[in-house]
Amino acid sequence: MSPASSDAATPSVSLRTGFLRSYDRDPSAIAVEVAGESISYGDLHTAAARLATTLDALDVRAADEDPETRPPLTAVFGQRSRGVVEGILGALFRGDGYVPLNPTFPIERTRGMLERSGCRAVVLDEHGEKQIVEVAESIATPLLLVLPHRDDVEELAAALPRHRVIGAGALDNAGVHAGEWRPEPVDPDAIAYLLFTSGSTGQPKGVGVAHRNVNAFLTSMAERYSITPQDRLSQTFELTFDLSVFDLFLAWECGARVCIPTQAQKMLPGKYVNESGITVWFSVPSTAVLMSKLRMLKPDAYPTIRWSLFCGEALPIELIESFAAAAPNSTVENLYGPTELTIACTLYRWDPERSPTESELGLVPIGDPYPGMEAIVVDEDLQAVEPGETGELLMTGTQMTPGYWRDAEKTAAAFVVPPGEQRVFYRTGDRVRRPEGKAPMTYLGRVDNQIKIQGYRVELGEVEALFRDIADVDVAIAVGWPVTSAGADSIVVFVSDANTDLGALQREGKARLPGYMAPREVRHVDTFPLNSNGKVDRKALLAMLDGEG
Amino acid sequence: MDQKTIRDELRGWILERSGATPDRLERDDQPILDEGLLTSLDVVEFILFIESIRKEEVDIEAIEPEVFNSIDALVEAFFAKAPAPMESALG
Repeated sequence: MSPASSDAATPSVSLRTGFLRSYDRDPSAIAVEVAGESISYGDLHTAAARLATTLDALDVRAADEDPETRPPLTAVFGQRSRGVVEGILGALFRGDGYVPLNPTFPIERTRGMLERSGCRAVVLDEHGEKQIVEVAESIATPLLLVLPHRDDVEELAAALPRHRVIGAGALDNAGVHAGEWRPEPVDPDAIAYLLFTSGSTGQPKGVGVAHRNVNAFLTSMAERYSITPQDRLSQTFELTFDLSVFDLFLAWECGARVCIPTQAQKMLPGKYVNESGITVWFSVPSTAVLMSKLRMLKPDAYPTIRWSLFCGEALPIELIESFAAAAPNSTVENLYGPTELTIACTLYRWDPERSPTESELGLVPIGDPYPGMEAIVVDEDLQAVEPGETGELLMTGTQMTPGYWRDAEKTAAAFVVPPGEQRVFYRTGDRVRRPEGKAPMTYLGRVDNQIKIQGYRVELGEVEALFRDIADVDVAIAVGWPVTSAGADSIVVFVSDANTDLGALQREGKARLPGYMAPREVRHVDTFPLNSNGKVDRKALLAMLDGEG
Repeated sequence: MDQKTIRDELRGWILERSGATPDRLERDDQPILDEGLLTSLDVVEFILFIESIRKEEVDIEAIEPEVFNSIDALVEAFFAKAPAPMESALG
């Protein structure tokens, strides 16, 4: 064991431990392929240690600051680059959790996430750099902005006088002791990463995932998939999507490499699979739909894939059959799980003979809980339903996160103790059928107003809150349309104020929401149709859209 | 359809789809993917749009991902045979 990685000797206690263990085994092995560059565990280790020591040396947190208000988190602003990978590891080497920020998100949303996270340091790549002035200029709290890819940061520093900006030179100077970096112990209950998911009140909800949670997940996955250093894992997900943690950290846990397609390579995912020799494919079903529409799911198209894994939205049977034929040497599994339960917490192995008879609504079952996780299916009063009946899925166990970031009210609403139970369970909001006998659990849809678009979780309430605000109306209704077996393709918003400039509303919505949440259309209705409870009848609105075809 | 019209059509589609204002895409060599003006969520409809204006199916297997990097790259990959714009008589 190298003295530089002493926490690699113990079982995984923090998210960085698997990386350190693989680095100890073979520092020359390739950890990441991105934009035509192959980066070794050794090179990444050096860069992360330099970042960690620099962040410590230039710590903008004052010693007497309350840790409640200045949490041990570092933001990483960028995408699909060497810089963001180094930033994530640099944060973890420092003992911080990381907060990914996405340059494809609207500036205002990114600023909100950064402010709410309480991060005082941000590591940027060239994509994040382009937006940082707009994001940070109105933030009053001084930030440390680190640009490891940039030598000259004078212009940026002048544009952001309130903040401290450092580039590669200062990083080298401050990180002179990088070679002496030693891991400090990390509290397993500390946050490993903080992500923001769509929230029904208009504000994204922060979900802090503890090292303890994600290590339980990685241990299960490493055992199940027997990943070796020869494996190449795809990274189709953005870092703001928690499934990206699977790709990066499962690869590093096992000494394998993660292959990160650029935005251009993501346009033609099938080509990327073959050019990169992907052996473990993991995506949302929508990516497979995209491949199908691009005529990229031809039989035997992807012979190198040995695991085909899907998660993030409902998985239609026809799609899995097509993908299984395109990747005939692979075992296909459907994973299920909300961010609050750490990436995925149930799974189902596809069997072409048996599975169609076990499926429901044309969707592949979500299967059984992971080791350490437990599921119950309950009615509206949180009482367990009988086997074979349907209800809301509640889960508990080692992967259940501590709750929403600095939001006790939302945490109390979603993390509950059901009648007759002593333990806290997370309410998934997903409707499932309670298994009967040995049958797998099947997913039947949402119990609330949340939908999936291209695998992203979208609270329609968040879209509605925004449009109530920008249209200055009392009611705005968002529906997912066209409806697909996996969720919906996009969103249509209805408002009832005839004087509203619908085009301007749509443009404003697009400017303020991530692409997948922005409505494809904003429509006017004279009066909203109501159902028997006096609530807006969303089904009638959908029927109206369907009728127009 | 000449190349100028094609470029205008492509720009119009990308701006409408992304909801971006015209000043976000003033030049034909601007990186449309890196700036988030076009994403993988758009690719199927975008290719259908390209097929509709070039009146010919796109051979997906024959193209490289980099063709989506900019309007210049798109025109070169999909519309190389289109005529150059007519010079103005008022030139």
